[in-house]
Amino acid sequence: MNGVPLSWYLVLSAILFSLGVAGFLFRRNIITIFMSIELMLNAVNLTFIAFSYDLRQVNGHIFTFFVMVVAAAEAAVGLAIILTVYKNRGTLNADDVNSLRF
Amino acid sequence: MLDSFIPSWAELLRFMPEIILSLVGSLLVMLEPVTGPKSKSMLGHVAIAGLIVALGATFVAHANPGAAFSSMIVVDGFATFFRVIVFTVGILTIFSSYQYLDREGSNRGEYYALILFSVVGQSVMVVANELIMIFIGLEISSIATYVLAGFLRDDKRNNESAIKYFLLGSFATGFLLYGIALIYGATGTTDLGEVRQAVLQSAEPPVLLLSVAAGLMFIGLGFKVSGAPFQMWTPDVYQGAPTPVTAFMSAGPKAAAFAIFLRIFVTVFESVGDRWEPLIWASALASMTIGNFAALQQKNFKRLLAYSSIAHAGYVLVALTARSEIGTASAMFYLAAYALMNMGAFAVIAHVAGKGETTVDVSDFAGLGAKQPVTAALLTIFMLSLIGVPLTGGFFGKFYIFKAALESKLLWLAILGLLNSAVAAYYYLRVLVVMYMEEPSARTENLEPMPMSLQAALWLPAAGVLFLGIFPSAVLEFASASARLLGQ
Amino acid sequence: MDHILSIVLFTPLLGLAVLLFIPSSNTAAIRWCANAAAFAGFAVSLPLVFAFDPALDFQFVERLSWIPSIGASYHLGIDGFSLLLVLLTTLLGFLAILSSWTAIREREKEYYAYFLVQQTGMLGVFMARDAFLFFLFWEMVLIPMYFIIAIWGGPRRSYAAIKFVIYTLVGSVLMFLGILALYWQHFSEFQTYSFAIEDLMRTQVPASMQWWVFWAFFLGFAVKVPMWPFHTWLPDAHVEAPTAGSVILASILLKMGTYGFLRFSLPLLPDSAKDPQVIQIVAGLSIIAIIYGALASLMQKDWKKLVAYSSVSHLGFCTLGIFALNPAGIAGSILQQINHGISTGMLFLVVGIVYERRHTREIAAFGGLYKIMPVFGIAFLIATLSSMGMPPLNGFIGEITILKGAYQTSLAWAVWCAIGIALGAAYLLWLYQRTMLGDVKETNSGLTDLNAREIAVFAPLVVLVFLIGLYPKPFFRVLERPTAHIVERVRPGYHAEHRLVNPLEAPRPTAGLER
Repeated sequence: MNGVPLSWYLVLSAILFSLGVAGFLFRRNIITIFMSIELMLNAVNLTFIAFSYDLRQVNGHIFTFFVMVVAAAEAAVGLAIILTVYKNRGTLNADDVNSLRF
Repeated sequence: MLDSFIPSWAELLRFMPEIILSLVGSLLVMLEPVTGPKSKSMLGHVAIAGLIVALGATFVAHANPGAAFSSMIVVDGFATFFRVIVFTVGILTIFSSYQYLDREGSNRGEYYALILFSVVGQSVMVVANELIMIFIGLEISSIATYVLAGFLRDDKRNNESAIKYFLLGSFATGFLLYGIALIYGATGTTDLGEVRQAVLQSAEPPVLLLSVAAGLMFIGLGFKVSGAPFQMWTPDVYQGAPTPVTAFMSAGPKAAAFAIFLRIFVTVFESVGDRWEPLIWASALASMTIGNFAALQQKNFKRLLAYSSIAHAGYVLVALTARSEIGTASAMFYLAAYALMNMGAFAVIAHVAGKGETTVDVSDFAGLGAKQPVTAALLTIFMLSLIGVPLTGGFFGKFYIFKAALESKLLWLAILGLLNSAVAAYYYLRVLVVMYMEEPSARTENLEPMPMSLQAALWLPAAGVLFLGIFPSAVLEFASASARLLGQ
Repeated sequence: MDHILSIVLFTPLLGLAVLLFIPSSNTAAIRWCANAAAFAGFAVSLPLVFAFDPALDFQFVERLSWIPSIGASYHLGIDGFSLLLVLLTTLLGFLAILSSWTAIREREKEYYAYFLVQQTGMLGVFMARDAFLFFLFWEMVLIPMYFIIAIWGGPRRSYAAIKFVIYTLVGSVLMFLGILALYWQHFSEFQTYSFAIEDLMRTQVPASMQWWVFWAFFLGFAVKVPMWPFHTWLPDAHVEAPTAGSVILASILLKMGTYGFLRFSLPLLPDSAKDPQVIQIVAGLSIIAIIYGALASLMQKDWKKLVAYSSVSHLGFCTLGIFALNPAGIAGSILQQINHGISTGMLFLVVGIVYERRHTREIAAFGGLYKIMPVFGIAFLIATLSSMGMPPLNGFIGEITILKGAYQTSLAWAVWCAIGIALGAAYLLWLYQRTMLGDVKETNSGLTDLNAREIAVFAPLVVLVFLIGLYPKPFFRVLERPTAHIVERVRPGYHAEHRLVNPLEAPRPTAGLER
């Protein structure tokens, strides 16, 4: 890691995060949207690790593990919900899942 | 070295409500397979008992205030206040769920366990004194609530509500977490007290980084409390979820999210307050206006209350904009009153909704005043409180908020907010008009009598709303004292 | 006598508590209970007449701490002005309930419950010495009236009820903002929270702020009075409301607006109130209301709507009198408020009686009623003459005093007043002629005259019409001090300047300033 300044990591994670946000906003497939969210979380993980390394602390690493565990739990529940939606509607296009608002 | 890993008795005591609820929740999951299909309500009773014990433990914990687990959590008046709110919301939710779940043929034990887990998450949020702890609490609460929103697996509206709530909720969490990461980077710590010290004592605080972090957290929390412009998911999710769950979502998670909003923004970000104040000012005004004006046109009662919840989030944001002790206290009071009146109103909807929630339009409530006068009278109390008519909790809530706004010289926000609340009277009163003046609808004509459990879910909040409206002193003083400690 | 105001205030609620235990199917018991409660409310207020000392200011004061953290207290007290309005309320509240005996045939329990709640609210408005408590009662009146119009009203009741609530609510929100501004100003000056009116009165309010607060209050009260152009809710509400609702609305609720002007706007914001520009505007609106209300009355085909518009005109006199800012104008205005309560209350009762018998209010459908309903004809005649200000009835005393006050301020005002009085005579007499005189229409020939209960409703009002008309002295006597307080507050030294006897300096050792 020698020679690579902190700001590079931060810029990279900011770019990844923005890609995640963009994916969330512009993709229509629910699985892709969900993956975009995962991308956002991992961008944050990168930020944590970079800061942790820069501050010579171990805390940031631990936070990353917490985030990963939580993200896994979220994925388990999220995929189950996506599955029921698919079972009941036969589509995963976000625009088709819009029956409310009558 | 090892000693510091073994929590002391006092520390356990301060965390006891969460421990109790986690254990009871796990117990429910284990009991579920061995309970017969007819006696699932027993599990609900166990859950209520657990919540009541946790409520007791809250007061015990409050008698021993202080930090615990290397100051990961802190038990202060603020935490106690919100713990009481979220536990009460849990109890009321379960009371209003029995009849609903039986009617839908989905009275299963995991429902009650999920409610408890969600409440645990909210409770962790409100006692947390550390950003990662806040994140974990928020996720415990959210994940359980995602499942609850889609609890009736085969109902398309439930599916839709769950998927929307899940996607938007996770999206918001991403922003919150990014904000946390930036705070960590800027200060090298995630302990709220230390972050605050670091910001105050550093010669040149990293204002830019903190402002960006504040902005990101504002987005994340804005989603969670459904403040404009992050409110668009609210109507769909509230409308689609099972009514008792909607009630729960609009009260518990919202109150807890506001609690961390207050804790973070009045402690950590106070020094960059000038930068975020205009943001929240605008959000408060937009929430009130969008919520109230959109609610004017709603036919579906759940959707109407969803928009009204956006408007009410706006009122609480007014209190946050005030950035003062009294602002914090008024937000706390308002959230307590709002939780009660909203829970009550949704309980009535759960009663009238009917199997498959086919009758949740305002017009389906026609003639309720003639057919079930007591139910109608209680709904009237909740509606009047939502309007903010004197002698109800809603009135004092609004009063304290606008008083705080005026004391912080937010004249225009107060005027626009008050005018907003006059507009809001129209759609709440329309419900009363339909209920009292129109001929009974097909639904109210054949309305079954109200079971005891649902009556409890109505009478308790009604009593609470009137108590807060007539004798607000004690609660307000508690909130003020807590807010004072929080600001130090 | 220590708690007489509380007793008067809560007697209706006590009656309500009893009423709630009567099953709603037992309508006779409900009617008796409601009437008994309302009568008891009137009876317990009578001792006030004898115990009241016109040489003192606020009397029967009660004060209990209620929400100390914001400085709100349960603080009651009445002066002569409040006394008259309290008595008017207890009397008309009872008569309104009595008049509903046969008119209301559905959901009677709720109906009477709303009236009793409203009664307490109205009394509270006139008794409160704490601005917060005042606002509380002010709002408390709103909801029952909403239901009374919305449930027992005419065909367009839903529209009328919502319009009434939204107008009043917007006004009261602004009024509350004004109260909060004064409260905040008081806090920044004295560092203590208090809503007590006497504390707010001691606050020095900067001129620019006074101006804002004055208009905030003005909008709140003007909607309630209602002054032109905020009056549009009134005809709708009156036409749709049941008779008793109209009576209460016209006789008491509208007075809450004028009461607010005299209790808040003038004493709390004297500098704005005497600003010539403000006076010009308010007086202009009042004169427009007088003339517009009268002309609109002339054009109405609906009996009740005519009476409703006449209220706009009459209340115009009251607001004009207030902003004449001299003792005659204010005392006349207050007396005229009482007179309007009595005479317009009677006029609405009159409409209610024919409506109950004929189920129409179209003026053209009537004629010659005097021949078949002579007792009714006499009651209506007295109400008409009283309302148009015929000597020696009560209306004459009120209008002539206002005219005197207006003349002292401006000749033009007095001229407009006189035109308004003339127009008033025109539309009222024309109404009487069209409905009571002439040939009897066949459809009306079967109408019955007043029964004993209905006579009992009119009798006390007729007595008051003659009492105030022939012997107004005691009424002016109790108004002396409140009026002088307001005038001296707005224009210090007015009495000395105009060589008038200042009742506040009357040689009575017990007479102290307020507090």
